[in-house]
Amino acid sequence: MSTFTPYTYFQCPCTDSSPPVRNIGSDSPTSIHSSSSEDEKAFDPRAPRANYSLYPLEHLLYCEDCHQIRCPRCVLDEIVTYYCPNCLFEVPSSTVKSEGTRCTRSCFQCPICIAPLSVSSLEAPPEGLGAEHASQGGPYVLNCPHCSWSSKEIGIQFDKPNGIFTQLSKIKNGGDPVITARERRKDREERSRDSAPGPVTDEDGVQDETVVKLDPNEVLDAESQFSNLKAFYQAQLAEASPANALGFSGGDYGYGSPGALSRIMGLYTGGTYADKKSKAKKGTMREAQNAFEGLKIVAPNSEDALIAKLQNEGWDATSSSLQRDEQSTHTPFISDLRPIAYLLRTKRSKRCKTCRHILSKPEAKIQTTRFRIRLVALNYIPSISIKPLQPLLSTQLQAPLVPMKPTQFLLTFKNPLFESVKVNIATPAQTPGRFASKITILCPQFEVGANTDAWEEALRDGSKGVEREKRRTKAEASEGQLQAEAGKVWERGRNWVSVVVEVIPASLKPSPDFLKTEAQRKLAEEGGEDDRVREDEDVVEIPVFVRVEWEADTGGEDGGLGKEKEGREKRELAYWCVLGVGRIG
Amino acid sequence: MSSKRASTAPAAPKPPTSLSPTLTIAEHASLVGSYLITLGANTVVHPRAKLNSTYGPITVGSNCIISERSMIGLQGRGADGEGVVIEDGVIVEVGATVESKVIGEGCVIEVNAKVGRGSLLGTHCKIGPLCEVAEDEVLPDYTVLFANGMRRIDNSGVEDLKLKMVARQIDVLRRLIPSNLTKFQ
Ligand SMILES: [Zn+2]
Ligand SMILES: [Zn+2]
Ligand SMILES: [Zn+2]
Ligand SMILES: [Zn+2]
Repeated sequence: MSTFTPYTYFQCPCTDSSPPVRNIGSDSPTSIHSSSSEDEKAFDPRAPRANYSLYPLEHLLYCEDCHQIRCPRCVLDEIVTYYCPNCLFEVPSSTVKSEGTRCTRSCFQCPICIAPLSVSSLEAPPEGLGAEHASQGGPYVLNCPHCSWSSKEIGIQFDKPNGIFTQLSKIKNGGDPVITARERRKDREERSRDSAPGPVTDEDGVQDETVVKLDPNEVLDAESQFSNLKAFYQAQLAEASPANALGFSGGDYGYGSPGALSRIMGLYTGGTYADKKSKAKKGTMREAQNAFEGLKIVAPNSEDALIAKLQNEGWDATSSSLQRDEQSTHTPFISDLRPIAYLLRTKRSKRCKTCRHILSKPEAKIQTTRFRIRLVALNYIPSISIKPLQPLLSTQLQAPLVPMKPTQFLLTFKNPLFESVKVNIATPAQTPGRFASKITILCPQFEVGANTDAWEEALRDGSKGVEREKRRTKAEASEGQLQAEAGKVWERGRNWVSVVVEVIPASLKPSPDFLKTEAQRKLAEEGGEDDRVREDEDVVEIPVFVRVEWEADTGGEDGGLGKEKEGREKRELAYWCVLGVGRIG
Repeated sequence: MSSKRASTAPAAPKPPTSLSPTLTIAEHASLVGSYLITLGANTVVHPRAKLNSTYGPITVGSNCIISERSMIGLQGRGADGEGVVIEDGVIVEVGATVESKVIGEGCVIEVNAKVGRGSLLGTHCKIGPLCEVAEDEVLPDYTVLFANGMRRIDNSGVEDLKLKMVARQIDVLRRLIPSNLTKFQ
């Protein structure tokens, strides 16, 4: 049997403009008009859209200026800092822009099992006198303390124990050095210098004859292919339009500009947009012709090696889809995997989307988990907790609700405010959905005391009164055999009130045929509606509309001049909640 | 048969032992049973480690570390002559249960891992935290069990280095754990 914990979700009112609406009771279209407008608006927690507006109270914020609940959908996030979760170093946003969102120090995750990798020396630790002070020599490897993977397995070793990211970026799996983008650029420059005498020679392929250190048929990896292609097309663009000489000299910036865009359009649409000079000079762009220019010819037998490896080493040598997801290139084999640099994390502050006031702002320092500002809804709106009224044996705790048997639950409202609040709660008579359980709130209106200091309360004699009251209600309860009385609060404390709600769980058995409405019957005949219980349909979810009223000090923010005007102001807050009380057995 | 029955008597009998003089064994380690328990040179047995030879002999090689709350030895009656052999340089971590026939040289049995009865572990295997080796399973050399039953072969080739690190760890532990060899002899 699946376990069930009662839950309460709050709906953020920011979805009010398009509330998920479903008329309750009947499926016939006429009922929309016949039922009262109040019923029509009843919130349906099962509507597909409801998933996006329901949150546990702990996830919600509260805007003190708008006097409104704020959910993740109606706040704006602002990144305060980027940091590495492994070394806790802050990364400036400029570095994030230029270097990407990964830690560029020595923080890596195991490509096999994602555990953090540590750097260790392959040399035996020094022994003898003063061994503690002697430093270990290289070479160094990254190794995983969890699954014993080591970068030695992919043929990678390091000379220094620090700055692993830069060292790793220069080594291919197997130990060959990576030809960096800069080296490639240098090489390209050399080549273009060699072929300089005739600027048009590249069209005849003369350029290829010049002596270069790179192999024109080199098999490029994805990164160098991209950098070669990029350089090639940049050169093409620069040659294709003389305007470049005036403005942007082949840098990265030319692409986005409207001029560049129209030129690119011109190149591909036959030149109507291209200016005549460049057209006369160059015609159209040519394509890459060799590996220097980023051309990668896929040989028909290029996959033979892969297939052979698969045959020799089998399934165990292949990487799993989870392992591949973490890699930036296609890595069919374990031997292709590379250590994963740690993805940076952010600290964010949150603003109200309506008034732009800050609702939450963490301390910028990475090591602290404190907040400068944090306006959480928990401190502003009453929390609701649910428990069964009948004390249950521990074995019964998870017992499912019995269909058609009235079951009573205690809703406890706890007030976090320093003013007492008036609470109104309302529910539809039946839960929405195919299996309508009947709901009755025995006390829909009550007042919850202020959240004054507990010690202050204890010092005043008032506390005794509260105690007495509590005891009295308890006594009443025992006399009445746990029979809740309509219109009365069940139990009351300093800043909390419990009221009783009665649920008559629906039967999960399909209603007999003669009871079905015409529409239902029709649907069943068409096979559109089956009688089986769908996922979580057996959970009784009660939509509750809560309205909270209280009087608050108006002073404070607009203090300054009119301090004497510090009066009392009536505040009101209304929202839908969903109470998940139990599963029907 | 009668000797076996006697061994299950409630009063924990003191088992026959063959202990190396260079063994470090804490006073609060527990050695029970009736079969022979052999502990090799330089091995360290932490306090509250449980070695139970009630159902079969236990042999631990040299340079091993048997940690707290680990349970070595068969936990139930087995075939005659069946025992537990732990070869040299093996680390049995906290709370691990070892019932296997042979644990190869340089293996690491991690925290709360279970190595089932009759299993055979090759050399330099690593059984990850909470991982389990089934009964009678045979693991080839360098097998690593990790996460939820994932396994791989470790090709890093640093086993010599690892054995050296175990030796260093033992050096430290020998200084920290007061040994009481006579109690168990
Ligand atoms: Zn919202
Ligand atoms: Zn880092
Ligand atoms: Zn790993
Ligand atoms: Zn606001």
